[in-house]
Amino acid sequence: MGTPPQSLDPGLDYTTQGEEVNWLVYTGLTTYAHANGTAGAQLIPGLATTLPVISDGGKTYTVTLRKGLVFSNGKPVTASDFAYTVERSIKIPWGGSGSFITPIIAGATAYSNGKAKSISGITTDDATGKIVIHLTAPYGPFDNVLAFPALGIIPTGTPLKAEPTSPPPGVGPYEVTNIVPNQSFSAVQNPKWASMDIPGIPAGHVNVDVKISANVSSNALAVLNNSADFFDWADTIPGSLLSQIQSQAASRFKLVDLGGSTYYVFLNTTEKPFSNQLAREAVVAGLNQDAMSRLGSGTLVPACFFLPPDVTGHPSGPCPYGTPGTGDLAKAKALVKQSGMAGQPVTVWSETRSPRQQWMTYYTSYLNSIGFKATQKVLADATYFTTIGESKSLHPQTGFADWNQDFPNPVDFYGVLLDGKAILPTDNENFGQTNDPYINAQVQKLGATPTTQLSSVASQWQALDEYVAKKAYVAVFGYQKFPEFASDRINYSGLVFQPIYGWDFTSFALK
Amino acid sequence: MATISGPASGGTEFSEGIDAGFSGDGQELPPGIGPWSLAWRRLRRNKVALFFGGVFLLVVVLCLLGPVYSHDIAHIGPDTENITGTIKVGGKTEDIVSLIGIPIGPTWTSHYLLGADLEGRDVAVRLLYGGRNSLEIGVVATLITMLFGTLAGLLAGYFRGITDGIISRILDVIWAYPAVLLGITLGTVLAIRGIGPLHGTTLMVPAIVIGFVYIPYVARPIRAQVLTLREREFIDAARQQGLGNFQIMWSEMLPNLASTIIVFVPLILANAILLEAALTFLGAGVQPPNASWGTMITEGIDNIPAAFHNVLVPGIMLVITVLSVNIFGDGLRDALDPRAKVRIGR
Repeated sequence: MGTPPQSLDPGLDYTTQGEEVNWLVYTGLTTYAHANGTAGAQLIPGLATTLPVISDGGKTYTVTLRKGLVFSNGKPVTASDFAYTVERSIKIPWGGSGSFITPIIAGATAYSNGKAKSISGITTDDATGKIVIHLTAPYGPFDNVLAFPALGIIPTGTPLKAEPTSPPPGVGPYEVTNIVPNQSFSAVQNPKWASMDIPGIPAGHVNVDVKISANVSSNALAVLNNSADFFDWADTIPGSLLSQIQSQAASRFKLVDLGGSTYYVFLNTTEKPFSNQLAREAVVAGLNQDAMSRLGSGTLVPACFFLPPDVTGHPSGPCPYGTPGTGDLAKAKALVKQSGMAGQPVTVWSETRSPRQQWMTYYTSYLNSIGFKATQKVLADATYFTTIGESKSLHPQTGFADWNQDFPNPVDFYGVLLDGKAILPTDNENFGQTNDPYINAQVQKLGATPTTQLSSVASQWQALDEYVAKKAYVAVFGYQKFPEFASDRINYSGLVFQPIYGWDFTSFALK
Repeated sequence: MATISGPASGGTEFSEGIDAGFSGDGQELPPGIGPWSLAWRRLRRNKVALFFGGVFLLVVVLCLLGPVYSHDIAHIGPDTENITGTIKVGGKTEDIVSLIGIPIGPTWTSHYLLGADLEGRDVAVRLLYGGRNSLEIGVVATLITMLFGTLAGLLAGYFRGITDGIISRILDVIWAYPAVLLGITLGTVLAIRGIGPLHGTTLMVPAIVIGFVYIPYVARPIRAQVLTLREREFIDAARQQGLGNFQIMWSEMLPNLASTIIVFVPLILANAILLEAALTFLGAGVQPPNASWGTMITEGIDNIPAAFHNVLVPGIMLVITVLSVNIFGDGLRDALDPRAKVRIGR
């Protein structure tokens, strides 16, 4: 793994690296099918007996816990543990709580502010296992929210602070042990899991030792030479090794488009020069996506729309500022001149890891070539998003951002990344501080549609995505293809590459 | 040990510095030869030190000529990217960076002489500009270290008592942290916020950080030397003549510390260049797209299997430069004081 998880405590972590493990350790009331492709985005009951029963016009969700559930430490699971889990994720706080819990669940804001001792919108009955959740307003993908590892049930009484080296016990096929922060951890099979026999969630076959090393080249070589078994899907294989891997390990390597990720640069709409629409259009018009694709070892599919292809609402029409490719440098220069922002200083924020830093180095040079005065700031991967998420003090102008879907619904992209209500003082994900009344209203309106009924509002999401591309609120530079790369020892044909969490550890098996 | 007494006013005594009257090879010296001439005579005899001094000078000149090479020969700037561009090599058109991100190797022509990096930039041009930046940081850091190290050592050693206590404890705190660790911490914080009016991405930020972490390495030996000097007769004589403390420090102490300070300069310079590369490699030094040998190594590390030249070329330059400064510095030390044992590092 090239980048460490933010934390292995589900109450804090909101990274692909953490969730890749935690969804198998902290099963939610709902979860996702253990399947490849779009089938893997299918919601299934997790610790609940069925998918939630939705009533009161989409404002009440009712579920019942399965019988006989126990945590990995042997303690029985109760319905009230769920309420405690939600409260803990607000208190720590979990990075997604400001988008998916506090404004959504009735009484969560009062609890968050310290005005209530518990969340009034959650009622539980330990005797029957019944859990009723009241929302402030209908929120279509709330059954997806229940699948977040952060809402995977943990025992009542777990300290209300993150425990990165001894995370709480959960209910899932695996438990995490031997944590050495930023270096290694182990996902070992949970011996209590098999007896619970939950349909659709298999037990693991092997224990998995995870080593964290920023040197992705040596990580890839280790898998190529069979001294490690898996290359982390969220890392990029350096181009210098790609052809070697393709020729020497063709039977155990492929690049997979999971269809739910967007790579973009955010443009701060409240700060000069990108408060000016022409300046933003200039960035989009001249961006050389072919160059960026080469920097990403050719694994980037050039694009212009914010919603990726497999997410409902992805537009099929032409890009407003030309077909993504080499970019129109002359047009970009003219737009910068026209905007009156030429010579404006711009700080480009970047992660360290490859190819993200290289992308931003190119982007910095590109901004200079079209008339801005850009410099680059590189931050350690582990602190990058939390640092630029300090929107109150830092005001980052522009920089790298990406999003892998939390769940297959466009509101996951818009509600977190571009909705004005999502601008938070800390852990902000709306890095561009986009606060457009039209977007806000559409997100509010369309977000109420359940994931299962998205087709009814697909055209409206599409129109919204076209609007965002036209306003150049973000400069999308592609959709990433991810490496599915394992050693010779592994039964490659049996592996599951899940569209939301990537590697499914339960599918790992030796030949 | 033989000493040479200087003029009555502002006298210079080389008892702790240049060892006059002793040639270093057992030969008696002609009468009337000055200490600096003596040092130069010793240095001239050290052919290895002179050779490496010349090598270092050559590196400096080459780096200073970077803009000329960039403008008149390579026709490309150090930060000019050309990822999707092509170049004709041996009549064949080749991508500067391939579709899967592999940069072209050395062409041995004026364009991309030493190949390209992942961003399609000319490695030879960046090598020279990177050298300028690495040397600039090294020189500024050395100046900061020498200025504040000398000042701290002088004040602490001369005044002793509470002044010495405060300065020495501050130096102890800095000394307690390994230089690289302290550099990473300061470099990371300052890269985000900058220092006062200095933007976090300027070269001055790593220069100040590196200059700061090495202050105790100079201040402590200087302090020890001042503690000895202040008890000498010529200092008493200066006091008797009515010279104030700061006059004594300026006109009596500093000239006697000159040889030690000079010996420290190349040693600190070599360490500063190395620390810059290390901090940059760890993400806490020079910020891209600025070129430095450290950034070039960092940027090339992921491409070692297919583009080894991206790391090899700046690595060789770094080794040559640091080695030449160190060997010349050793020669300088031998020339100024063949019995001194000045070392940097712990």
